[in-house]
Amino acid sequence: MTGHVSIRLASERVNHCVPCPNELPRFYTPGEVITGMQDFMRGHGTYAEDDSLKSSVAGVMQKVNKLICVRPLKSRYVGEIGDVIVGRVLEVQQKRWKVETNSRLDSILQLSSVNLPGGELRRRSAEDEQMMRKHLQEGDLISAEVQSVFSDGSLSLHTRSLKYGKLSQGVLVKVFPSLIKRRKNHFHNLPCGVSIIIGNNGYIWISPHKQDIILEDNHDEIENYDLQAVKRSDREIIARVKNCISALVASKMMLDDTSIMFAFEQSLKYDNVKELLDPEAMLDIAFLTQHMLNDITED
Amino acid sequence: MPGPDLLSSQGLRLDGRRPNELRRIRCKLGVFTQPDGSAYLEQGNTKVLAAVYGPHQASKSKSSSEGVVVNCQYSMATFSTGERKNRPRGDRKSQEMSMHLRQALTAAIKTEMYPRSQIDIYVEVLQADGGAYCASVNASTLALIDAGIPLKAYVCSCSASMAYKDGVPEPLLDVGHVEEAAGGVTLTVASLPSTGSIALLELSHRLHSDYFETVLSRAMQGCRDIEIILDKAVREHLAEGWTKQDVITI
Amino acid sequence: MAGLLLSPSEKVYILHGIEDDFRSDGRSNIDYRPMELETDVVSHASGSARLRLANTDILVGVKTEIDVPKPDKPNQGKIDFFVDCSANATPEFEGRGGEQLANNISNLMQRAYHSEQAFDLKQLSIFEGKQCWKLYVDILILECGGNLCDAVSLAVKAALFNTRIPFVKAALLDGGNVDLQLSDDPYDSKLLEVGTAPLLVTLCKIGEKCVVDPSAEEESCSVISLVVGVTGNPKCYCSNEDASKLHEHISKCSTIAMNGPGSVAPQTLTNAIKQGINAAKYLDEALGKALLRERQDITNFVKHSYGFFK
Repeated sequence: MTGHVSIRLASERVNHCVPCPNELPRFYTPGEVITGMQDFMRGHGTYAEDDSLKSSVAGVMQKVNKLICVRPLKSRYVGEIGDVIVGRVLEVQQKRWKVETNSRLDSILQLSSVNLPGGELRRRSAEDEQMMRKHLQEGDLISAEVQSVFSDGSLSLHTRSLKYGKLSQGVLVKVFPSLIKRRKNHFHNLPCGVSIIIGNNGYIWISPHKQDIILEDNHDEIENYDLQAVKRSDREIIARVKNCISALVASKMMLDDTSIMFAFEQSLKYDNVKELLDPEAMLDIAFLTQHMLNDITED
Repeated sequence: MPGPDLLSSQGLRLDGRRPNELRRIRCKLGVFTQPDGSAYLEQGNTKVLAAVYGPHQASKSKSSSEGVVVNCQYSMATFSTGERKNRPRGDRKSQEMSMHLRQALTAAIKTEMYPRSQIDIYVEVLQADGGAYCASVNASTLALIDAGIPLKAYVCSCSASMAYKDGVPEPLLDVGHVEEAAGGVTLTVASLPSTGSIALLELSHRLHSDYFETVLSRAMQGCRDIEIILDKAVREHLAEGWTKQDVITI
Repeated sequence: MAGLLLSPSEKVYILHGIEDDFRSDGRSNIDYRPMELETDVVSHASGSARLRLANTDILVGVKTEIDVPKPDKPNQGKIDFFVDCSANATPEFEGRGGEQLANNISNLMQRAYHSEQAFDLKQLSIFEGKQCWKLYVDILILECGGNLCDAVSLAVKAALFNTRIPFVKAALLDGGNVDLQLSDDPYDSKLLEVGTAPLLVTLCKIGEKCVVDPSAEEESCSVISLVVGVTGNPKCYCSNEDASKLHEHISKCSTIAMNGPGSVAPQTLTNAIKQGINAAKYLDEALGKALLRERQDITNFVKHSYGFFK
């Protein structure tokens, strides 16, 4: 039995920068004047002062009609209604759960916004309140949708659909939210054989394909399913997807099902999943993925 | 009132700089992965790391509905000074530094944006060679920008001192450790150069009020120079990170 | 380590993976994550090193001071460890939040270096019974992504390898005072013998098995971990010719400690210790190779300082 140890020197450090054909956009930095006020609306990342609109963050300007925003390279998650998120339950309170979603305030999941066993339209009783911890307890991961945004900016979530709810076995990867591409669908069954939820808040959940038993409302079976060991083959794919995502993130590449699948395909030339932890292999994968992405945009 | 001899007969300072010359500033954003924002900054031989966590939910006791709570901690590595420090923080000097840091940064952060939230800014001085406070403010600004926290403008800090050459007063920019130790006057300013306002001013030792304006304007000039350097670093960082993101302009 | 919140099913997933000898990132139970090392990063210190193990980041500075030896050990110098958990690593360390963890690690290091076979304190003696060197090994934890002890011990050994101590001429004056003469030339100094310096290996018991180099997630699944301090092999830290002159090296345990509320069976313990000694051997070899490679770069004048710039 031999363990694997690798120590490289700082002089052998890998630069994760991947060249990209896109031209660089115009950048704005804090305090910089974007435009005179002339009937523009100020959005995120901007503020008005002395009859002009100024940037408050460092990033790229986006204009939607008269609304001007500056999007920073990275920040905490700013939720929008309809976003799919992955979050962790922090606290069980009266009639609601507090959920950590990488936002600047904790998010709220109301007891009335979850599906309880026994039908959707059932009244929430006092008994349900006492059973809350049985349903979701501290530390549990959930997938959910942003239902509304409170006036102070905190998010109200709901899990009133079968695709949302408590997550079982799998791996969570945290990236910064600006790397997530907004897509129609954030739930994917990847062709390599695992399921992935790419949360808008930068939390990505990788798990084995869910079997249909979840749909049946049989509690015992769900619990058994929770504890069953994941097959070795699934485990290898999950680890590979996880390491591929880390490789893309190290090179600050956007994440969606396409880029992740491309990275996965490119990673297959490394037989052993743990080889993907090596910085050189990570750069190689990011580089090849960028190449494939360039090819499809050209077509 | 002849002060300590800080200028040579050629008009050069103890470390060979000209009176209006900054020490070399090198910096980098995003040096760590765990915090929301981080930066490393070298100003001459003074080396500082800054990390920003947040904005996140403020603890119940601190929470304010008015705006975000800014929490700062200034800490010095025990090996950062010539003589070993026994404690990295908790002494009066570092508590004072934490307060001053908070003062300067709060002036720049758009605090009203984030009620009930909190921003933690932690500064770790790895090597102190004069002007550790200035370097801390500059590094923190970069870390805040890296975290995507809205600022009114860059907040930069610089110090200035005073020397006499042939009896003529000459202000010195960006005071180094040797000059600090020589016991001259040190004026430290934190300002928002693009608006021209001053967020913090501190004067040690005595300075004739006639000279105050000259020294202050030299320090303010230093802040403007630093802003240019920081801005360049921010743009380089953006260029490096943005290449892979697609820009949606609708 | 700061408690990381995980759901029960995530824990089950990690546990099954370790049973299967295939962890969440594809490593087997005896693999380390890649590391990066740089020495001589702090100019105010006599020796320094920075080690990054995944996203665990350790900076070590060694400072020297002249002191009086202990009366019971007149011909030995002193070594002192101080750990500071910087709030940069996690807001939980703010103020005195990291103190307990810091004390744990510094005590562990102190114990591991205590033995004469681990670190020879005689090399720090200046004048028997009168003057000696005292080494302050200051450890700064800048980021933590699990497995702090191992990373700290590697960084400390690298920093000591990098440490230069000035030559001192000592002469006994009348009245029992010692006159010390330090050379003005900063290159007139000696390196320390650190080949035998111990490395710590953490074995994290998760389920029925032990793993090395646990990630933060794995650490929060474990109820008990074992830390073994193992003396190094001086052969790994000198050139090939010098190495052949040395005696065959046998690794020895210089400290064993247990952390956490759980308990282990004696058999598991012996197996874990064996596993730890084995892992330490590989760590020691890899560290020695990296340090010699860097020293080669320095003598060829091709070493640049990278620090926090990439």
